[in-house]
Amino acid sequence: MAEKFVNMSELKVAKGEEVLVTVGLGSCVGVAIYDKGRGVGGLAHVFLSESKNETDVKQPGKFADTAIPALISAVTALGGRRSVLEAKIAGGANLFPKLANSTLNVGKQNVAAVKKHLAKHGIVLKGMAVEGNKGRKMTFYPKNGMVLVQSIGEKPEEI
Amino acid sequence: MGEEVKPTPMEMDLLKELGNIGAGNATAALSSMLYDRKLDMVVPEVAFMSLPESIDLIGGPEAPVAGIYIEVSGDVRGHMAFLLPIDCAQGLVEQLLGHEFVEFDEMSCSVLEEVGNVVITSYLNALSSMTDLMIKPSVPGLAIDMAGAIWASILVGAELTDDYITVIKSAFSSEGRQIAGHIMLVPGEGGFHKFFNILLGTGSR
Repeated sequence: MAEKFVNMSELKVAKGEEVLVTVGLGSCVGVAIYDKGRGVGGLAHVFLSESKNETDVKQPGKFADTAIPALISAVTALGGRRSVLEAKIAGGANLFPKLANSTLNVGKQNVAAVKKHLAKHGIVLKGMAVEGNKGRKMTFYPKNGMVLVQSIGEKPEEI
Repeated sequence: MGEEVKPTPMEMDLLKELGNIGAGNATAALSSMLYDRKLDMVVPEVAFMSLPESIDLIGGPEAPVAGIYIEVSGDVRGHMAFLLPIDCAQGLVEQLLGHEFVEFDEMSCSVLEEVGNVVITSYLNALSSMTDLMIKPSVPGLAIDMAGAIWASILVGAELTDDYITVIKSAFSSEGRQIAGHIMLVPGEGGFHKFFNILLGTGSR
């Protein structure tokens, strides 16, 4: 079973038996969008909530507002049906809860932005493992829409 | 946000020297905490690279590490992290507490925060006395997690969101690799320009 790794700010699609994996999700949010009937899907490792005034976004996977439309077009281009797309998300943790100055709590903002843009594009959110204080690894199986989420020292959990 | 500008070769050399001096002082401090255990420093690396690439500098995104983060303010702004593989972190806790490691409880975490604090502030002290700049460290924050998760959280919290960043990485190890770690310095707003101005006598770009 071929595993494709999605690095920070990247976005990749896969179908059939292929598996998409992203590791080291701290404040970042992993977003999987898929058509499980057709067995196609895409995964983005979102770093920030909004692209703001960055006019020339080289990696749409970097921002929530650009990643979601880009995922939708990439997954439909691979044969996914726009009307049945679903999403699962993981990440958005705050790894340094003791540091009171919460510039480090970008995780929450990222999760809120991802949810907002999913809703805006009419994508149903089917599962999530978000916030908290632990980093996560996300393994996504486009063939059936299954997502496993794992933190260090813990068992993988299906969302 | 302004795009980060790639440092010139001369500036790169200077940053390497800063890394050398800072990490030299930091490892000396750590060594004395460990009853004068010998620590070998690796020549620092200065890299101008994309954010995802910078994760590979610290051993890949999934490696479990203990990471201590300190924010730098004062005359210059920046962000420092001391990252050590999880087994090394356990080894350090054992040596400093004098008993076998059980878990990352409050006691071991506070030991690691203190080690990180000593390492990072020693590094900063060296830079400060070299440049006469006032450099103020924040309280340390500690996370035990995947290296990628820690590093990305630090970068984004630091609003280092340009596609490219300049990083000074210093590393050290001891015989048998029982203690090894990475000390990372990334500049905040204003980049390393203050250092360049003072040490190279160049005007601001």
